[in-house]
Amino acid sequence: MEKETVTLTIDGKTATVPKGTNVVDAAKSIGIEIPIFCYHEKMIRLGCCRMCLVEVEKMPKLMTACTIDATEGMVVKNDTPKVVKGRQGVLEFTLLNHPLDCPVCDKGGECPLQDNTFNYGAGDTRMEFKRFNNVKKKELSPVITLDRERCIACQRCTTFSEVIERDQALVMHNRGFHNDIGTFNDQPYDTRFSGNVIDICPVGALTNSIFRFQARTWDLDNSKTLCAHCACNCNIEFGARENELMRIVSRPNDAVDDGWICDKGRFGYEFVASQNRILEPGIRKDGEMHVASLDEACDETVSKLKSIVEEHGPKSVGFIGSPFASNEELYLYQKLMRMGVGTNNIDFKAYKDTPGLPVSHYDFTDIESADLTVLIGCDPTEELPILDLRIKKAVIRLGRRLIVLNDQKTLMDKYASLSLRYDVGSDEVALGGLAKAVAEGLKQDGAPKVDNLKRASGIKVDEMRDFAGKMTSAKKVCVIYNPAALSGNSVAIVKNLLSILDKNPEGECGAIPAAPATNALGAMDMGILPDFYPGGISLSDDSKIKEIWGESAPTEKGFTTCEMFGKAASGDLKALVVFRSNPIVDFPGGDKIEEALKKVEFLVAHDMLHTETTALAHVVIPSIGPGFDEGTTTNVGGRVQYRRKGLKAESFPDWRVLAKLLSGFEIEAKYLDSFTVTAELAKKVPGYEEIRRGSIQKEGKTRPAQASVNGQTPEVTSPGSSGDGFKLRVAEKLFSKNKILESDSALAHHFSEPKAILNSVDAEKLGIKTGDRVKVSAGNRDLSIEAEVEDNCNPGAVVVSNAGDEYRVLALIQDHNATVQVSKE
Amino acid sequence: MFAFTKESEKKIETILAKYPEERKMSALLPFLTLTQRQEGWVSPEAMVEIGKRLDVSPAYVQSVCSFYTMYFQYPAGKYIIRFCHNISCYLNGSDSLLDYLSEKLNVEVGGTTEDKKFTLIKEECLAECSAAPVMRVNDDYHVNLTKESIDKIIDSLK
Amino acid sequence: MTKILFKDIDVEGLTTLKVYQKLGGYSSLKKAFSMKPEEVLNEVKNSGLRGRGGAGFPTGLKWSFLAKDSFPRYFACNADESEPGTCKDRILLEKNPHLLIEGLIVSSYACLIETGYIYFRGEFQDVADLMDEAIAEAYKKGYLGKNIMGSGFNFDLYTHLGAGAYICGEESALLNSLTGMRGEPRSKPPFPAVQGLYDKPTVINNVETVCAVPWIVNEGSEAYKSIGTEKSTGTKLVSVSGHVNKPANVEIDLGTPVSKIIEMCGGMRDGNKLKAFIPGGSSVPMLGIEHIDVPYDYESLKEAGSMLGSGALIVMDETTNIVEATMRLAYFYMHESCGKCTPCREGTRWLYQMLGEVLNRRGSPETVKTLQDACDNMAMKTFCPLADAAVAPVVSSIELFPEDYESFFAEASATAG
Repeated sequence: MEKETVTLTIDGKTATVPKGTNVVDAAKSIGIEIPIFCYHEKMIRLGCCRMCLVEVEKMPKLMTACTIDATEGMVVKNDTPKVVKGRQGVLEFTLLNHPLDCPVCDKGGECPLQDNTFNYGAGDTRMEFKRFNNVKKKELSPVITLDRERCIACQRCTTFSEVIERDQALVMHNRGFHNDIGTFNDQPYDTRFSGNVIDICPVGALTNSIFRFQARTWDLDNSKTLCAHCACNCNIEFGARENELMRIVSRPNDAVDDGWICDKGRFGYEFVASQNRILEPGIRKDGEMHVASLDEACDETVSKLKSIVEEHGPKSVGFIGSPFASNEELYLYQKLMRMGVGTNNIDFKAYKDTPGLPVSHYDFTDIESADLTVLIGCDPTEELPILDLRIKKAVIRLGRRLIVLNDQKTLMDKYASLSLRYDVGSDEVALGGLAKAVAEGLKQDGAPKVDNLKRASGIKVDEMRDFAGKMTSAKKVCVIYNPAALSGNSVAIVKNLLSILDKNPEGECGAIPAAPATNALGAMDMGILPDFYPGGISLSDDSKIKEIWGESAPTEKGFTTCEMFGKAASGDLKALVVFRSNPIVDFPGGDKIEEALKKVEFLVAHDMLHTETTALAHVVIPSIGPGFDEGTTTNVGGRVQYRRKGLKAESFPDWRVLAKLLSGFEIEAKYLDSFTVTAELAKKVPGYEEIRRGSIQKEGKTRPAQASVNGQTPEVTSPGSSGDGFKLRVAEKLFSKNKILESDSALAHHFSEPKAILNSVDAEKLGIKTGDRVKVSAGNRDLSIEAEVEDNCNPGAVVVSNAGDEYRVLALIQDHNATVQVSKE
Repeated sequence: MFAFTKESEKKIETILAKYPEERKMSALLPFLTLTQRQEGWVSPEAMVEIGKRLDVSPAYVQSVCSFYTMYFQYPAGKYIIRFCHNISCYLNGSDSLLDYLSEKLNVEVGGTTEDKKFTLIKEECLAECSAAPVMRVNDDYHVNLTKESIDKIIDSLK
Repeated sequence: MTKILFKDIDVEGLTTLKVYQKLGGYSSLKKAFSMKPEEVLNEVKNSGLRGRGGAGFPTGLKWSFLAKDSFPRYFACNADESEPGTCKDRILLEKNPHLLIEGLIVSSYACLIETGYIYFRGEFQDVADLMDEAIAEAYKKGYLGKNIMGSGFNFDLYTHLGAGAYICGEESALLNSLTGMRGEPRSKPPFPAVQGLYDKPTVINNVETVCAVPWIVNEGSEAYKSIGTEKSTGTKLVSVSGHVNKPANVEIDLGTPVSKIIEMCGGMRDGNKLKAFIPGGSSVPMLGIEHIDVPYDYESLKEAGSMLGSGALIVMDETTNIVEATMRLAYFYMHESCGKCTPCREGTRWLYQMLGEVLNRRGSPETVKTLQDACDNMAMKTFCPLADAAVAPVVSSIELFPEDYESFFAEASATAG
């Protein structure tokens, strides 16, 4: 749909802009700057700083350019004596009580107040009274410091809290001259997105407590890079000085982050200097780890792998990849395993998923244009926080609708017009029921057979019909599902549902497969799968595989991670290469995995930090990781972007390690930098043809959606009984105390013990009240934690938050049903 | 701990009935007023409770509460004396009367007497200008003030 | 002088429906319901009635700006009377609540509004309680509620109290406050007639304005127009305060000379000479003795360099310390600025500081120049008129009484010894 435009004149220049654009933005579009403090293009129009005063023909008084829409034929003057005097006046008022401590102010050099004063100020003040004294250093939170004297009460930060994050946590107190930003009763301002107020503060009032007084902004080496924490891949600027990380700020990319980043992305980067980093390669000899050169470590790896392959065949070697690594690293690893070792024992995840979608792969911006977003098994607030902001924007500010299907309560429910909760473990039935209801609504065939919806999932048939009805009546539907939170055949059922919904002649639909790990989608694309080559080429597509990879490419289905651990335990898998993954803690059933890994004859761990897994390895190779590495990642919206390095690494980049290993297997690997790898993968990975340094420089580029293999109607299996136990639902936490966010993290104030959240029905039966200590146990694992009675899930299950590595919550998952016992202590 | 009394709960029903259900935030000022009438001030605990009832954060409640000068965020006296010092009252000698009252009560303007009986506040215009000087003691207006009438009023307050 | 609003103001028991009705109260309903809503609206439009809150905008015209076909609509009656010097709404509320209710019913009928709120300033708890009683009586009698007097017109009326904020008299701030927000003014446009309370079309009228409507409906717009001047029709309540012998609220025909109004209030206190008067509440420029005979109407006062404003005549005699009086008003605006716009938040405080400097004999011609320029930088640069109001007394007092300022200058006091 063409957007209506209007044409106006600003200082004699003509601008044509979409209707609804304000005068500040209209001027910007033709290169005319109108100075601002309070206006922020991503927020609502405030008009309170009065800096953007302009003259508009036929209007008696000066107008604020930020609050008025550009209209047809409007004549705006930005440089008349009246405007100049008006702005000088506003600046004089603004500076009346603003301290001139610019020489020690963190904002110095990037301060709109400095810049506007330089450009529009009178150069002198007539203020002859002592400036109002106020608090110079108030800790708003452990990571944000407020200098009250510098605050110009522009309301940007409080508006952010009200309109963008919607927590109403940072507010304006008092009135008039005594206006004061603050929180309820001086509690810390510690929301998930609090740090953004530092970026948007137009003066040095809100400062990063860690960066405060550490460096001058102009002394920083800034690199435009990506956040590596979750699969949103927000754009950030990494500021370093003398090869030390000083701060991270947001770098707006409308297609991804809309200009915001979460606090984990901003403050959670201490791992680049962690004590726990692996700095040197090591080789275990006689049970002892010895420092080795990279060549020695690689040689050892190559020769051991070769001899195992020779003795036991390529099927005796496996690879566990990383959803956190770059496409380049993952591409090279799968090449090493397939073309060097000759195996398809390649995987990176504990859940079942296949590449491709039967519908469009939507980008984040589609959430704004879709009239309905459907969340399935997702908790964006904890898993993909920037998606949380985008959904809130769509619902509250753009009037879109949201519906939610999940097994646990999330903060998104508040924004949903309908929210259905299925029993933990019954996702196949619930999704099958939804597919069936959608098919009925559209009078289509092909849905799975489900006839026990209420009994097996807890959702009534007519509730599900209502849910499906919202999907079939919408013009554009964006389905966001988290494969990592679904079990069994569920992803296949989601795809079945999507292909049925796609048949709706009245509407269009697309999906975002939202697995939360940084580059989980890239890992799929790069073929870190036992049954697919890069670009979603199925093993059954023999001719295509041979065409791209040559005659010797293995086409026998490899083992999944789960199967690999099983084979390791039984002694059939002799060697395992683990790249930036810690399955002992991060995969369900950690203890069994630990036992299995101990049995592996040759374990290589290529990682950034020491973990429970690296501790067992025979060869350890350092991976430099985010901050130091360079390459591309693919976010859940299918956007491929460029992750630049911000710091110079002491050790070798990972692609070099891979080049050495490949050479060891006599595979040509003459890479000059990571971009030569990108160039190769662009040739080898269908969908990545257009990905090259130049094309992804600025906003990245969405790779075309891969078609999914059109399967048969999936089978729906009813969940098994957990007897007198409970089904465990592990809830992810944004600020989990793990290897990345360590105990001395600046974000440590967000850490909490895990909680066992019980449905009130179950709690009453067990006589448990909020605050009681309970024991959650499975097999020989147990966890003594606090109970909370809250209907986060349906009866029969318990939600435990994955609050940190030390709790080993996933180790409680010991059977197919994830059954645990809960008892009062 | 803060809780609305039974009587207040009844008033809450009347208040909420005034506004459309989806606009119940309109009841925020009436709730704050009700709280202050019940407790004498608006405590943080009360703000939490009000926030819960109206689906806004406690910070939001505090933000609104602090904008309006009639709310006390600390326990105030039994009698709140708002003494106008604005133009019409000023022209009619309010300044000396306010000094007189302050001395009489032995309390600074803006303060509360030690026995917590009186809080004396310098008030902006109270809209009884044709009967200046004016003060308001709790809900009652007292006009055409003189030293004598002030004595009488104060002495009558138990 | 015609008595429209104060006709029965001193009748005992007027606050009760019984007495009010006996005196002809609520009779305009029958008349109004016999007309089409737009006919009532046109009658008010034709009467020339203008907003009595301060801006003086033609009431009927304001009503006609309501966004077409957008419902529900709301009526917000402004009973936030807080303008220093003004106490004319309070007397109506205190003595004749049913007149306001009647006015609101008829006005809402004309505007196709079914819900109304009376926004009282928080200090008006006593008159709000009285209003609640009157509203209850009106409901009981069937003047409020569903299908009023069989007309098919429904109207619900509620009271709502603020809690101490002058700025809530500004209509967009009033709406924010009524929504449960801080009373900060909104950006206009959109105007309340398009997006007002709960983003719905809303009429906001002052108490006195609404109270004139029943008479206009009963007697006809021509009768109303025959009172007052050509452009300032009807009567006006004037709150007279300050240095007169008998300060009072008086109802005058618009166009009555100020000298006459002062006379109505017993003349100047102690026979003193008039020094200055503020004709329309603290937010308008003060005028000197040369304007003593200016007709009290919108046009004449504007011509004289001031405004009719809220209709509060503040009289200052020759004993008045103009700088101190001005500083008292400056304090008021500093205290009441919501703080949203920089020029107002910072400027009101700066003005107060500079006036203090003068009063403390530390000023100089430079101080006064800076004062004037700061006023110029504040005026017309903010969302709402509070900053304009804040500068009015400062600018006008410097203009009218420069010698008063000079007498405080450091040098002047040194020579005076």
